[in-house]
Amino acid sequence: MDGDSAHSMEAEREMTRLWRTFRTVYELLADRGYEVSDNELVLPLEDFRAKYADPLGYPDRTKMKIQARPTETMKLKYTALPSKANPNPQPDCGTIYVDFCPDSSGVGTKQVRAFNHLVDENNFHTGIFITQTPISPSAVRLLSGVPGRICEHFQEQDLLVNITRHELVPKHVLLSPEEKAKLLERYRLKESQLPRIQVSDPVARYLGLRRGQVVKIIRKSETAGRYASYRWVI
Amino acid sequence: MAQSGPSHALKTSLPETYAAVNAQQPPPSYKYPTQEEQDKYLEGRPGATQQHLEVALEHAQQIQTQKDAEDVILNRILELLELPSSPTADPAAPSQEDTIKFKYALAPFRPSDYDNLILERNFEDSCGYTLCPRKYRKQDRGPGGGFQFKYGPKGSGPGGRGRSVDIVSEDRVEKWCSDACAERALWIRVQLSEKPVWERRAGDTRGTAILLLEEARAKRLKAPAPTSSVSSVVDDLQSMGLGNRDRSRELAMERGDTSTIRPDGRVNVNIRENQRSSHQVPGAPQMRPEDANGGTIEGYVPREQQRVDQDGDIDLLDQI
Repeated sequence: MDGDSAHSMEAEREMTRLWRTFRTVYELLADRGYEVSDNELVLPLEDFRAKYADPLGYPDRTKMKIQARPTETMKLKYTALPSKANPNPQPDCGTIYVDFCPDSSGVGTKQVRAFNHLVDENNFHTGIFITQTPISPSAVRLLSGVPGRICEHFQEQDLLVNITRHELVPKHVLLSPEEKAKLLERYRLKESQLPRIQVSDPVARYLGLRRGQVVKIIRKSETAGRYASYRWVI
Repeated sequence: MAQSGPSHALKTSLPETYAAVNAQQPPPSYKYPTQEEQDKYLEGRPGATQQHLEVALEHAQQIQTQKDAEDVILNRILELLELPSSPTADPAAPSQEDTIKFKYALAPFRPSDYDNLILERNFEDSCGYTLCPRKYRKQDRGPGGGFQFKYGPKGSGPGGRGRSVDIVSEDRVEKWCSDACAERALWIRVQLSEKPVWERRAGDTRGTAILLLEEARAKRLKAPAPTSSVSSVVDDLQSMGLGNRDRSRELAMERGDTSTIRPDGRVNVNIRENQRSSHQVPGAPQMRPEDANGGTIEGYVPREQQRVDQDGDIDLLDQI
């Protein structure tokens, strides 16, 4: 009896943790500009449990697969400016697919290969692979080496809380190519003269920023009220 | 500049076929822009010169080489996960084919890449040694786990009595199926070159001439006892032909020590003897009276030579 209750406590704990991660994933998708419905964003724990628990009360990660399509505003942001060579540019974004890896340890090239294959076969533009433990260095390289597709990796514990909701994290807004061109024109800058932010920065990873984009960072300022700065993603 | 990879011609749901198709594709390698493209690029940039562009292209090419090499290593790791080819293979006597494949694949590896391979193999539940088909040791860890005692053979303790005891972390022991396999795998690791493959030079044998532990042992047993008699050393030196001028030129060529500017080597060596100012032959030293007692050594007189006068004063005459 005692062992049983310990078991269910353990299951309950894991369930709650995963529910938090799951919610952060939806917030992430919404922040990036994908179509996410309102009740998905505020999914209560009971509903999550009813939907994704296995008979033992543990979460069943194989059921937790998310797909989302980009909104029109997001497509606009990811469309390059028309140029002579490319007068009618297409938006460089598409359906995103999120997969939770059910293996509790030892995630290596085998799982990543299967994930890559899945993303490629279903023609998803972007894939997010979420694991419980860190993945091996070769798996990281394999994940980033899919030609023409973007595959990202997060650990469940990284998404336990939404870092962008922390009061010390300022608001990051991605600029569209047009806004970027205007900014550079306004300040008479080359993009290399902007301050920079790394692609591996936690917020940059959260927003899925790509090299060459410019992000506007809006901070609170005691003297000026709001203070905006711009960073070039490298 | 970088070309996007060719789109997949074949889409299939079989992971094996998919992997095979992916493996067949050569890594997207660097294509050097033609003169036309270079001119076109320079046209729009008044500040840039041909030289700037060449430097940039040179660096780009180096980076591309690195990326290609890393891709090769990743593919090799994936290949080595499949070894050994038969599930009943004996790690102590691996098949010829597997051995050749293993050694060939290891050539571009650094020790860190080899560690990745071991990690990957453990993730697939196999022993860290590539030629071993068994599973790796996995023990259930207690709540205070993470370390374990490891006892040496009898008589290995301090002073030749008892057993030596080592406390080792479990993941170091758990990578392999047995201690023998651990030894084999680590023996391979020490032979790998720390230098990344794109920095290695031609003729760098480290990392290419890899021996398995069994081979190395067999070789050591077979090797004749070292002969170190003077005559054999002299013979060896003579057979090297150091004095031979043609031969040394050949050797310098091999080292890359010659150039068209300085045909004799990297620096010009001119031997110039000192001119002797006089032709007098210095004579042998002659005995002088003060040399009778040896004199002083930088002002110090050895104790035996300090003659004490009748009144107890040290006679300083000799010392001055």
